[in-house]
Amino acid sequence: MNILLMLLPISLVLLGLAIAAFAWAVRKGQFDDLDTPALDILDDAPPKPRQDARMREGDDGA
Amino acid sequence: MDIPVVPCHHCGEPVGDAARRVDAGGRAFCCEGCAAAAAWIEDADLGSYYRLRSASANRVQADRLDLASWDRAELQDEHSRAIDGGREIVLLTDGMRCAACAWLIDRALAREAGVLDTTANAVTGRIRIAWDPARTQLSALLHRLAMLGYRPYLATGDAREQARMSERRRWLLRLGVAGLGSLQAMMLAEALYLDVNATMPPPTRDLFRWLTFLVSTPVVFYSGWPFLAGMARELRARHVGMDTLIASSTLLAYFASLVETIRGGTHVWYDAAVMFVFLLLAARMLEQRARNVATAQVDALARAQPVFAIRERDDGTRESVPPSALRVADVVCVPAGEGVPADGVLLDAAADFEEALLTGESRPVRRHAGETVYAGTTCRERPARLRVTATGTATRLSQLAELVDRAQGHRPPLAQLADRVGRHFVVSLLVLAVCVYIGWRMYQPERAFEVTLALLVISCPCALSLSVPAVLAAAHGALARCGVLATRPEALDTLARATDVVFDKTGTLSDGRPARVAVEVFDGLDADAATRIVAALEKDSGHPIATAFADVDARAWAQAVVARPGQGVEGDVDGRHWRFGRADWAAHRADDGGLWLGDGTHGVARFTLNERPREDAAIAIRALRAQGLDIHLASGDSEGAVQRLAHVLDIASTLARQSPEDKLARVRQLQSEGRIVAMVGDGLNDAPVLAGADVSIAMGEGAPLAQRAADLVATGPSLLRIADAVRVARLSRRLVKQNLAWSAGYNLLAVPLATAGLVTPWIAALGMAVSSLVVTLNALRLARTSTEMAA
Repeated sequence: MNILLMLLPISLVLLGLAIAAFAWAVRKGQFDDLDTPALDILDDAPPKPRQDARMREGDDGA
Repeated sequence: MDIPVVPCHHCGEPVGDAARRVDAGGRAFCCEGCAAAAAWIEDADLGSYYRLRSASANRVQADRLDLASWDRAELQDEHSRAIDGGREIVLLTDGMRCAACAWLIDRALAREAGVLDTTANAVTGRIRIAWDPARTQLSALLHRLAMLGYRPYLATGDAREQARMSERRRWLLRLGVAGLGSLQAMMLAEALYLDVNATMPPPTRDLFRWLTFLVSTPVVFYSGWPFLAGMARELRARHVGMDTLIASSTLLAYFASLVETIRGGTHVWYDAAVMFVFLLLAARMLEQRARNVATAQVDALARAQPVFAIRERDDGTRESVPPSALRVADVVCVPAGEGVPADGVLLDAAADFEEALLTGESRPVRRHAGETVYAGTTCRERPARLRVTATGTATRLSQLAELVDRAQGHRPPLAQLADRVGRHFVVSLLVLAVCVYIGWRMYQPERAFEVTLALLVISCPCALSLSVPAVLAAAHGALARCGVLATRPEALDTLARATDVVFDKTGTLSDGRPARVAVEVFDGLDADAATRIVAALEKDSGHPIATAFADVDARAWAQAVVARPGQGVEGDVDGRHWRFGRADWAAHRADDGGLWLGDGTHGVARFTLNERPREDAAIAIRALRAQGLDIHLASGDSEGAVQRLAHVLDIASTLARQSPEDKLARVRQLQSEGRIVAMVGDGLNDAPVLAGADVSIAMGEGAPLAQRAADLVATGPSLLRIADAVRVARLSRRLVKQNLAWSAGYNLLAVPLATAGLVTPWIAALGMAVSSLVVTLNALRLARTSTEMAA
């Protein structure tokens, strides 16, 4: 039964880690919207070169 | 079918022949707005939106919104905050239906110059935009949103948005801690339960118990805090409710286990306490989430565009202030075409005000200096100055809104009844628990506590309390998918029991655009000439009737045109004075429901105008009738117009020329006959009737105040949604009944067993969990059936 003395602390540490990870994810807003990010990967065609980006580069060069 | 109806490619509203626009790809659109939005989406290479979406879009308003006020510094100071390289604002929108909408908004805004970052959240209807004010104006971005059918509205202010967000996250964290903690506690408790023959050495057993105590403490006190706080609140208010039962059983199980752990007794019940907290927390979140989605969107609908008041300082210079900063006796300038910010007395020349929001009459009313004008009305043509007499809640508009709120308060309060029953249940259960404890104390003292605890846990109306929220959550989801938002919890139940549907004609069954049906001429004037005269008179009136003459080339200008509210319009055309309006005023004859052109003494032409029924009205009414509902029509319009519409749509029970009071009386009369009345309306003058009916549905394009008074709000103009909503409501009512029967049966069976001491606390906890699961799964059937329905 001595194995318990090792397994029980491990399980408690894992529990602590799981709660910490969950708290981190909640604080970072990972659960705010569960549907939209799923769609993002479905349509990952490269976006058209943005006009304003090119214009900005031009401005910088001038 | 009368008209071939196809759905609009963009918004899915049925399109008849009359309004159809077809693009090069052969796709039909209901209006210019939708066609433009779809064309832009294709051009921007975002066509995947149509593939990804699971709900159709909002109908796009073609008219360009005036969003300039969003760029004002006062607004941005209050509602946005400075971030690195720009500003950030959170705003609400009413058109986000599914995740694909959020996807589209993110992509569309990312293509605009000067946008730093965006996140759109379809669940809460909120969009966060970070932009660089040096490179783009906020209004330009909002125009893009509006053009795609997402009208922006002000959120409640930056501070409150942050508070709302952190509240939501705290709940989620509580649930997560409860889930993980009770998982661990159950695992440890299982080890103790499996030790059936008590072969475990006491030190090991006590180690397990202390560990379970360790993991269940945060669950009971952190995750269970809402229940503990609820109990404190209920006890302070001397009003025993559900929270008291939940919190007291939890605390009882927790502290009794602690005592047993310290003295090394035979049983601990930590697992019952934590499972209890976790399941109930999940049920409560489920219910809140469903309701939040609906109310968040209706909040957005009810919110007006940001308005600013222009205050005149003592030295005559002007400043722009929020309406809340106005004080009585301030002088306010109202530019032409803008809303009046507060009640006040008109100072200078006479001006015209459109009071549609207050009276439902869209014709402008002339007010002279010294007369009172009201907040919420719109100043037409000429700017006005006024001295403020009442602001904020003292204005007529606020009083009207309050009247609506009061009318709602008089409704049979179903929720209060359920609460009262719940309280009796809780009190009698606590009394029973005490009796059982005393009984067992005398009979078998060492089992008394265990039996009492099992009774409390097993009988706690967990399944009972879960049965309604679970169905409601699924039903709200199903309703939102067919485009209806339920704002009040009892709305669904009443809608399911409704026996009669009363339609308010203007704007609900008709499309609000009158068309000329017939012109009769007398006195030798030919029909074309008469039509041209009327067209000239109506040209600038802004009245809905004018649209019936918009296609006529008047070829003449009317002079000295004056609108007479409730009578008509008069003016000079080609040197002759004409009146156009009701028969008794324009032609000096008895009112016959038609519109007469005359000079006040005799008429020369009689026009019959008719509002066309909406394209889907006939189908919707057939569907409602097939569901066994009686259809009524109560309209403020003239007898003839109502009869014609009723004939086209085959409605037998009609009432014409109804004031809001008459409509309310009609509803009350039906109610006194034992009927349950569902009222469908959209105008502000319907608001009292909507509030007085058993259940009310406001159509999406109607007045915001009408939507606040309604129990259900249809997000688009399609009437077919009403039949869908009734179907969902009836199904959910059936499921609630099944769930209640199941959980009541379970409690009836379990309470005697527990009282007899045949149930240990952990079996009680398991039974409770299984019964809750059954109830939840049953509710989820609603989600499945509604997708079949939509397919």
